[in-house]
Amino acid sequence: MTQSTLVEQETMRQKAHQIFDMVKGFAHGADEVEITLATNIGEYLRFGHNELGQSQHSKSRDLSVRVTTDRRQGRASTGRLEKSLIEKTVQKALAQAKAAPEDPDYLPMLGPQQYRSVERYHEATVDAPADVKAGHVIFAIDLAKKNSLLASGVLGTSADHGSILNSSGLEAHHRATTGHFSLTMDADNGNQTGFALSTFADIRDLDAEKLAETALERARLNKSQADISPGKYDVVIDPAAWSETLIFLTVSASAGYSPDFGMRQYKEGRSYLSGRIGERIMGENITLEDDAYHPLQTGPPFDGEGYPKSKLTLVENGTLRNLASSRISAKRYGDAKPTGHELPLPNPLGELPTNVVIRGSGPTKTPDELVEELDSGLLLTRLWYVREVEARTKTVTGMTRDGTFLVENGEVKQPVRNLRFNQSLLELFTNIEKLSEPVRNTSFGGPTMIQPGVLARDFNITSVSVF
Amino acid sequence: MSDTKGIGEELAKLSLGIAAKENATYSDFRLVHTRNEHVSVVNDNPSSEESDNLGVGVRVLYGGTGWGFADTDETDHDSIREATLKALSLAKGASKAGSKVSLAREPAHVENWDSPVEKDPFSASTEDKYDVLREATVRMKEKDVVARRGELFFSTIGKYFANSEGSRIYQNLTHSGTLIIVAAKGPNGMQRRSAQQYMLSGYELVDQMRLPEEAVELTKDVLALTSAGKCPEGKSDIILSGDQVALQVHESCGHPIELDRVLGYEANFAGRSFLTPDKLGNLQYGSEHVNIVMDSTLEHGQGLGTFRYDDEGVMAQRKYAVRNGKFSGYLMSRETAPRVGETRSNGCMRADGYKLPIIRMTNVSLDPGDWDYDELIEDTKDGILMVTNYGWSIDQKRYNFQFNCEKGYVIHNGSLGEMVRGPAYSGITPEFWNSCDAVCNRDSWVLWGTPNCGKGQPMQVMGTGHGASPTRFRNVKVFGAS
Repeated sequence: MTQSTLVEQETMRQKAHQIFDMVKGFAHGADEVEITLATNIGEYLRFGHNELGQSQHSKSRDLSVRVTTDRRQGRASTGRLEKSLIEKTVQKALAQAKAAPEDPDYLPMLGPQQYRSVERYHEATVDAPADVKAGHVIFAIDLAKKNSLLASGVLGTSADHGSILNSSGLEAHHRATTGHFSLTMDADNGNQTGFALSTFADIRDLDAEKLAETALERARLNKSQADISPGKYDVVIDPAAWSETLIFLTVSASAGYSPDFGMRQYKEGRSYLSGRIGERIMGENITLEDDAYHPLQTGPPFDGEGYPKSKLTLVENGTLRNLASSRISAKRYGDAKPTGHELPLPNPLGELPTNVVIRGSGPTKTPDELVEELDSGLLLTRLWYVREVEARTKTVTGMTRDGTFLVENGEVKQPVRNLRFNQSLLELFTNIEKLSEPVRNTSFGGPTMIQPGVLARDFNITSVSVF
Repeated sequence: MSDTKGIGEELAKLSLGIAAKENATYSDFRLVHTRNEHVSVVNDNPSSEESDNLGVGVRVLYGGTGWGFADTDETDHDSIREATLKALSLAKGASKAGSKVSLAREPAHVENWDSPVEKDPFSASTEDKYDVLREATVRMKEKDVVARRGELFFSTIGKYFANSEGSRIYQNLTHSGTLIIVAAKGPNGMQRRSAQQYMLSGYELVDQMRLPEEAVELTKDVLALTSAGKCPEGKSDIILSGDQVALQVHESCGHPIELDRVLGYEANFAGRSFLTPDKLGNLQYGSEHVNIVMDSTLEHGQGLGTFRYDDEGVMAQRKYAVRNGKFSGYLMSRETAPRVGETRSNGCMRADGYKLPIIRMTNVSLDPGDWDYDELIEDTKDGILMVTNYGWSIDQKRYNFQFNCEKGYVIHNGSLGEMVRGPAYSGITPEFWNSCDAVCNRDSWVLWGTPNCGKGQPMQVMGTGHGASPTRFRNVKVFGAS
């Protein structure tokens, strides 16, 4: 850690303390006060049609103030950190608390905690010159041009600082850098496409040339697609292909897009998992953990109220074992202990695992080996526009995109048109035979998931698109 | 909000001045002040939050070929200077890999505009808001009901726009939204019923939506759904409720007419479009009964896509996307309009707060037809009525879609028969819209709000409006959730 980084970190902590002191001074009549201060600086080189058309630089701050009075809670937030506007924000939080009904789950604010250190801030990402990042983009555009293709995508980096301080003495700080390079090469109005994605915390881990070559290779292969019939196919799903699908393991539309692996939802019967602890819901070779400390994970080692995150085994060898929990659940239910999975309070939706890691038992394969071990079936490189159809079986529908290939005797033989699937995720996770090493992925800026590629049997294709 | 315009005028002068001095081809400046309130009750747990944000977005075109954009929520002079120079720096870099940009002409506008509001939602007390939600969610309490949700959303957005061509525009927009959801468990899994509406409106929307009364009806429905049969499978005529037609329009017409998608700028994320320029004026997108407008004017209604000017200073307009079934027009920006031979943008550049404006739906609406709703049911010999969306999915060029709904009724000989759970339908967009043979009249036409349309990298969220009435489609593939 360099001198300048240390100074910056210290400055952010001082800033959080200054604001907290100010907020406390304005919060007359509040029983308790909490602030969450977040800052973000991001740079996004967005390109399309072989042009750098949407280069963006962004700076934002967010101060969120929570106060409690007589077991009632209120929250107000602002990006405006002038003293008079902070005072106004505190008054709004107080007004919200006074107007709120008594919270049946009210708990006094959490006291000081000890956190396990996670180092997720990389100066190389913060300091990466714009022209170096632009060079990665230009390389991809030039490669596309040389091959009569169009490159589109984004190379984004961001640096975040976050702090929680409260009147019970809790103080939690976290900072991190994140980045992603997402790239599509296409031709013939999207009839021929190839996609590649890489996420990183340290930009030195980005192999931009390899990424561009992967997108190119897939686009070159994905030409003159064959028509196939709907039905059940054995599939290899590329590890970067399906974060948008996997998010539906943890969130359901049935109660209005609320999280599923939380204790409160489970006990209230709102989750598709309710009543299923101890039940085998997936194959014996599948384990789902929530592990904020996994080296590929992102985010802080504490939850929305500053409780330290525990590593949790949600599904062990296919059997539902544990749920994400919180102080509220521990108070409500005799058999629950806090695990550090609360969202910022007041949180009526319930707990959410935000650091899911999916892994298999036994030795892993490389993604290429998964294809080599597929006798006959499909290679899916990107699943798109996935939505829940039915919660109990976790049936989802979605489309394949940017490269769907027929595989025979372990070799990619022929691209096929984009396919619609209607597939139970629980059934899919029962039919997985082989897995690759998991990679980091995110969906729409949501929680990070560490996810493997898989070889699975009987994936349910229900229709074929026209391209 | 009263100070937003004054601060905007001062900072715009500074930012536009720096861009001009640095020889920018074009620049614009937006100061956006947003105030939001969200009040929620889930089962018996209350939650509310109010937020207030002010930020600036600066967009610069340099050398006629490169765009750069920077935003900041620090509004002192130094920060505005820094943001403008950052946008210039990015524009200069991008100009090396850009092609010539021609902006469609737009008159310089100088105007102040406030959206219509009967009751200021921020003057209504938060206690009253909680009272409405508690009454609604209490009325949902029944055996087997596992989730009772009620939410209210309010926002006012004050935005000042100025550009290097002389436009100086201040707009103040007020939006309100209501959402109630009830879920119940039964032998066939969990069922859901919901009702939502979002409009360019004040608190009067909450009164109009009659949430406690609606909660009772939805609860009856959801309990009936727990023991309802599965939707039949095969080919069938279907009638879709107005709110479901609204989402069908959004996904299968609104997105493919976004010209940035068509030109390939969204290929990596949102995707492309099957509605390529060679099809403009040529493709029979739907049957003669299908007329779809892009209309951001107040005359169309108070939708989430209603405003006076878009976020690059183009005045609100009404244009046809589909006229008598024929594909007729795109959602455009000043940069993209000339690429399809248009001399003027139809004003579809919109930004999430003070972020980068991108092409977005405004109000994309299916014009009402001439059918009375009861007569349409009577005219349908056999079919399925599908009500309110549950899940939606469509491919990246917007051909192959599947929609799942919350409830359905089998229609026998012109009468509604048994209720069915989880009805679903799928198809290919132009085939589907060409199978449309009846659209209900204005009596059942509603301008629905879709509050959460995601697009762009980094992701932006936008509200869009979709007017629709119940509509019939012939010989569609139908099935049901298990």
